[in-house]
Amino acid sequence: MQKKIILFLVGIALIGGATAQAATITGKTLFEGQAPAPQVMKADADPNCAVLHPNGLNDDSVIVNNGALKNVFIYVKEGLAGKKFDAPKETVVFDQKGCQYSPKVFGIQVGQSLQIINSDNTLHNVHSLSNNSPQFNLGMPIQGMKLKKTFAKPEVMVKIKCEVHPWMSAYAGVLDHPFYVVSGDDGSFEIKNLPPGEYVVEAWHEKFGAQTQKVTIAADGDAKEAPFSFKAA
Amino acid sequence: MKEQHLNFYAKIVAAATFILIIAGGLVTSTNSGLSVPDWPLSYGQFFPPMVGGVRFEHTHRMIAGIVGILTLILAGLFIKFEKRNWVKIMSAAAFLTVVLQAVLGGLTVIYLLPDALSVFHACLGQTFFCLIICLVFFTSREWHESKAIFSEEAASIHRLLIITVSFVYVQLIAGAVVRHTGGGGISYHFILAFLIALHSFLIILKVSRADSEIREKLFKNAAALGLLVIIQIFLGFGAFITTLMLPKSDAPLLMEVFFTSTHQANGALVLATSLLLALRAMRFVKMLPAQNTASASNLAADRKT
Repeated sequence: MQKKIILFLVGIALIGGATAQAATITGKTLFEGQAPAPQVMKADADPNCAVLHPNGLNDDSVIVNNGALKNVFIYVKEGLAGKKFDAPKETVVFDQKGCQYSPKVFGIQVGQSLQIINSDNTLHNVHSLSNNSPQFNLGMPIQGMKLKKTFAKPEVMVKIKCEVHPWMSAYAGVLDHPFYVVSGDDGSFEIKNLPPGEYVVEAWHEKFGAQTQKVTIAADGDAKEAPFSFKAA
Repeated sequence: MKEQHLNFYAKIVAAATFILIIAGGLVTSTNSGLSVPDWPLSYGQFFPPMVGGVRFEHTHRMIAGIVGILTLILAGLFIKFEKRNWVKIMSAAAFLTVVLQAVLGGLTVIYLLPDALSVFHACLGQTFFCLIICLVFFTSREWHESKAIFSEEAASIHRLLIITVSFVYVQLIAGAVVRHTGGGGISYHFILAFLIALHSFLIILKVSRADSEIREKLFKNAAALGLLVIIQIFLGFGAFITTLMLPKSDAPLLMEVFFTSTHQANGALVLATSLLLALRAMRFVKMLPAQNTASASNLAADRKT
């Protein structure tokens, strides 16, 4: 028994050590200059949405908080050729709530399960405009309805839209590896557990396009900064 | 049932078809084509909640269903009461066309609006409209009662009108390609617009300089075509600016919906008017016997049909 406990602790230590030593890319997505004022979109095409948004909805494609740009998709674009990563068993949840998509931008691995939920008291269609994977257009007329889909091939980005409510759109970054993240309210991001190597990291935004940076990770445990700065065209 | 009753009924079907063309155009203009993901039912129901894009798509389906039933009745009435076999065949062809159009509409939904299918669906809808317009004309009092006008210019008038109708039909295809591919082939659309405008001008010129009988018969029709073409050019520029020059958003602007829908609907009127003008000219403006003895000698037979 004592031998088993020792082996278990050694195993934990090894795994923990390996994780601690893997490299991390951190940064912040910034916005230079005056952020465009959000457009207000009427939601009166559907009375169920109009009740929730009597003064209309703010266009959520550009969200800037104190100079930080939200909803930027940051991912390793190059440098992982030949490496294989299994699809995680965790499900990515994609909700239609308040006649808006949540999250607006997200990442998902090829083959990973995407659970689509309709939390609204109205009907939605969920239409993926993917080029590399088969497109889908699902009707979700019932509140609480759940459906599952997967993407077959990598693609940055796949637009998802609702033709019932034309203001509703979201973007999925579909990758064959787990090294991606979406910038939060303060624009900060962190990509963890990268093995040593030379990478091209890309930051993509719906309105302001994509930028890339080269990042070299020399050894396990490295921590690299890769800030991105966007400005209106 | 008398011919005039068939004619009246065909006019009702033509009006319903024109409304259907407007409804179809609104589906495309509002990007509502896939708001109902299933077909032939809508969200598994006959009447889904009419919210958002569903209002346009399901209304289009309901009007299409009404036009389909009206056309089935039309074909039945024509087969039973019409005397001319070729008109009966045309009415049956109209019914088959509307069935094919419905299937194409379903396929565009199931296959998520592939460009080729969408263009085919758009063009077949207006072809069906042309068939109904033909049936209206072939059962009209004018078709049966008007006398032939003999003119040396008959051949050149026929040629000019046939070329114009052909240009308008090709322009319909070009317009559908521009609309469903986000601006593909726009240069051809502009060239054809110029050619149609030029031909409309030439038609007015030709008719206004022709014999008084021809002028009396065709001038109003030619002037209407010219007016519709001018309106169409204006609407076309509006559609071009709002869809291809102004920044796009997910929710189309009202101005964009207005210009694209009216441009499409007015295009149907241009096609119908040019077709009617060509049919009327070919029916009533005949070559002189010296130009075409055969056609003159067959005139009496023509009148009977």
